[in-house]
Amino acid sequence: MRQERFVAKHGDEWTRFDAFLGAWRRDHRAALVSLHPDAFMRRYRTLCQQLALARQRGYSSRVVDRLQDLVQGGHQVLYRGAPFTWREIGAFLAHGFPRLVRAERRAVACAAALFFVPLLAMAWLTHARPELIHSVFDAAQVASYEQMYDPARAKAGLGREQGGDAMMFGFYILNNISIGFRCFASGLLFGVAPVFLLVLNGVMIGALAGYLVANGSAVPFLSFTAGHGAPELLAIVICGAAGLRLGFALIAPGPRRRRDALVEAGRVGGALVAGGFAMLLLAAFIEAFWSASLFVPPVVKYAVGGAMWLLTLGWLALAGRR
Amino acid sequence: MKVDPVRALETPEGITLELRVAGLGVRAAAWGIDMMIRLGVFWAVSMVFGILQLTGVGLVLVSAFLLTWGYPIAFEVLRDGATPGKRMMHLRVVHEDGTPVGWMASFVRNLMRTVDMLPIGYAVGIVALLFDGESRRLGDIVARTLVVYDERGDHGLFVAGAAPEPPRVALELAEQRAVVAFAERHDRLTPERRAELADLLAPATGARGDEGVWRLLCWANWLVGRQ
Repeated sequence: MRQERFVAKHGDEWTRFDAFLGAWRRDHRAALVSLHPDAFMRRYRTLCQQLALARQRGYSSRVVDRLQDLVQGGHQVLYRGAPFTWREIGAFLAHGFPRLVRAERRAVACAAALFFVPLLAMAWLTHARPELIHSVFDAAQVASYEQMYDPARAKAGLGREQGGDAMMFGFYILNNISIGFRCFASGLLFGVAPVFLLVLNGVMIGALAGYLVANGSAVPFLSFTAGHGAPELLAIVICGAAGLRLGFALIAPGPRRRRDALVEAGRVGGALVAGGFAMLLLAAFIEAFWSASLFVPPVVKYAVGGAMWLLTLGWLALAGRR
Repeated sequence: MKVDPVRALETPEGITLELRVAGLGVRAAAWGIDMMIRLGVFWAVSMVFGILQLTGVGLVLVSAFLLTWGYPIAFEVLRDGATPGKRMMHLRVVHEDGTPVGWMASFVRNLMRTVDMLPIGYAVGIVALLFDGESRRLGDIVARTLVVYDERGDHGLFVAGAAPEPPRVALELAEQRAVVAFAERHDRLTPERRAELADLLAPATGARGDEGVWRLLCWANWLVGRQ
């Protein structure tokens, strides 16, 4: 068939499909109302056939390029990933994520060791020798922390220098979640950065804890951290584990190409961080709106804190077991 | 046909997709536009929420978080792979196999910006991009994505004044595209360069120098005009 006849015969279809693609770009749902998915499928396949024909028959580049554009646009529409449903997210948090954490238990155990061992060691050290706190923080920060955890002086609430609940919520969201993301991404630097970040954070938190307990602020500090400690610390460990996984893929890719190992670690790590993000979100809520309250008695906070630890560890260890 | 790296991917329908990968300059420009948009939004948000004092500060901080991490991911997944900056530069993020980018890939590639940004000004990312055959920064490599040109509708300009004339020799598809591309670019080239390129086809056009150029433009007009 000559090119002119071909174009004359099918030109209208192409214009209509082009219009559909334009509508799709503006609004996915409205476009699908105007053209039923089955009809779209038929038209797309027809276009693919026409493109193949046009190429084979040696039609001009103008026609071929136009068909190529339409086909690529149609491909874009057809092969969209399925949109995420809330149900899938719920299933991920309920089963998928805990299972993944258990599957990656080696990385998680390493990260936990890198975090909690320095934490406990530093806490014990500063408790025995409170002056060591000054090796970790400078004098101004120490004074600030003391003020934060002294119920007589902490007017805005425990654990904060100033500011309302909403403000601190914003701060925790921006600060803590970004730290979690960085723990993961920095794994690309041959796994060194997550190690460093985990140890550093462990040291800082441990030193502070030991010092405040020795200094007589045990009750305010522990009652503050009790509520959100579990999700926050464990999320940091999990994000660190994701980073370690990434670094390990670079250093010891095993039987795979380095690139493939990286991609796999990126995928797994991404899922871990997604769950970690949810945990940090929860921790931010608790930390901002509950932990700092001066009105809730410490006993209640301890009880809630203990329950949170049990729940979080239980969820990670047991949820989704077959 | 353009001279940039093209990735050919076969789809399940047996069609070859041609994805033209985007290089450093365009991507940097798109990033610059996005950064300005984000700063603008952030400034506006700060102004508005500044009224609410401390609560407002909290909202501003949450906005900062969303603008840093959420903006690129949301646009890439929900708006056909293009943030506003990328859209202005006609770019799109896709999976390596040509399919539109999904949540996990976008999440990972954007989180990796932390490393790509090091030590300053995306230095690591730029080096990776320049070395990689497909202009991928570290985030793209780990997430298996590509940033490609989103071409629709530029099917060759009609060169004013050159009367359409059918080519003397039968041209294959790639050759036709080359002639049309020459016509598209000819006004960006120096006259000497144009003549140099046209002379390559002197045996076919039967003319050299400026006349050869003119012949090619006439051919291009014919190829473009012919539906």
